[in-house]
Amino acid sequence: MRIEKKKKNDVSVVKVSGDIDISSSQEVRQYFESLLEENGNKVIINLGEVEYVDSSGLAAFVDILKKMRASGGTLKLSNVPGKVKGLFEITKLDKIFDMVDDEDDALDSF
Amino acid sequence: MFGRKDSFSIVNIEKLLKNDFSLLPGITSEVLKEVEKKGVSSDILFDVNLAMQESLQNAMQHGNKMDPTKKVKFKAQITDNFFELSVEDEGVGFDPETLPDPTKDENLLKENGRGVYLLTHLMDEVCYENSGRRVIMKKFFTETKGKRTGERCA
Repeated sequence: MRIEKKKKNDVSVVKVSGDIDISSSQEVRQYFESLLEENGNKVIINLGEVEYVDSSGLAAFVDILKKMRASGGTLKLSNVPGKVKGLFEITKLDKIFDMVDDEDDALDSF
Repeated sequence: MFGRKDSFSIVNIEKLLKNDFSLLPGITSEVLKEVEKKGVSSDILFDVNLAMQESLQNAMQHGNKMDPTKKVKFKAQITDNFFELSVEDEGVGFDPETLPDPTKDENLLKENGRGVYLLTHLMDEVCYENSGRRVIMKKFFTETKGKRTGERCA
C-alpha cells in the first residue's frame, strides 16, 4: 500500500495505491488523522490505483469520514474502481460517501 | 463434463493455522494462483480473495479471540467450475441471524460489522455449521442458471 499527497489550492489530494486491508488499514487511519491535525479539512482520496479493499478498509474510510465531519471538513472519494465501488454499494456506504468519477471533477466541486 | 473437457481437475488445499494475520497473504496467494489457472475474471478473483481474508480474520479475531491455544481449520477446493471454502474456529460460535444489518441507516456510521455481510453478498452459497464455528462458502466460476447470491446451503 502506498500513499502520496499533493496540494491543489487548499485541497489535499491523497492518492492511495495497492491493498487496503487488515495489514494496512491502520496506517491509512493514522495518515488521515495526521492530515486533519495539519488543518487538511478539504480532502479528496483518489482510489484509482487501489486493487483490493476488505471490511477493515471500509471501516477505515468510515472512521476518516466521521473525523472529517466532526472537524467540519469535507471528504470526497474519486476514481473509485468498479469492484471497490461495488463494495460501497453493497454495504450502502455510497449513501454517506461523496464519490466523484474523476479527481478534476472532485476539485471543481469544492 | 458438459461434453467439452477431457479432464476435470480438483485441487484441495488444507491448513491448520495459528491466529496470526501475517499468515493470510501466503495462504491467499497460494489459493488465488490455483483459481487464476481456471481463467476466471478479475472480479471473481477479488471475491474469492475477500472471502478468504474475511472468514480467516473473523475466525482468528472473533472466533478464537487470538487465543494462542486455539487453531483455525482452513480447507479450500478449486474445481473447474467452482471454488469452495471451509473455515472453522474453536471459539464459542455465533448465530449469524442475530448480527445487526450494517446497511440500516443507524448502522452506516458504525465502523465494524460488514465482514459477514460482504461474504453473504459476494459468494454464491454461504452456510454455517457447528453453531457458527464453521462457515462454508461456494463461488461458481461461470454464471449458473438460477443461482442466487448468498444462498444458504442446506
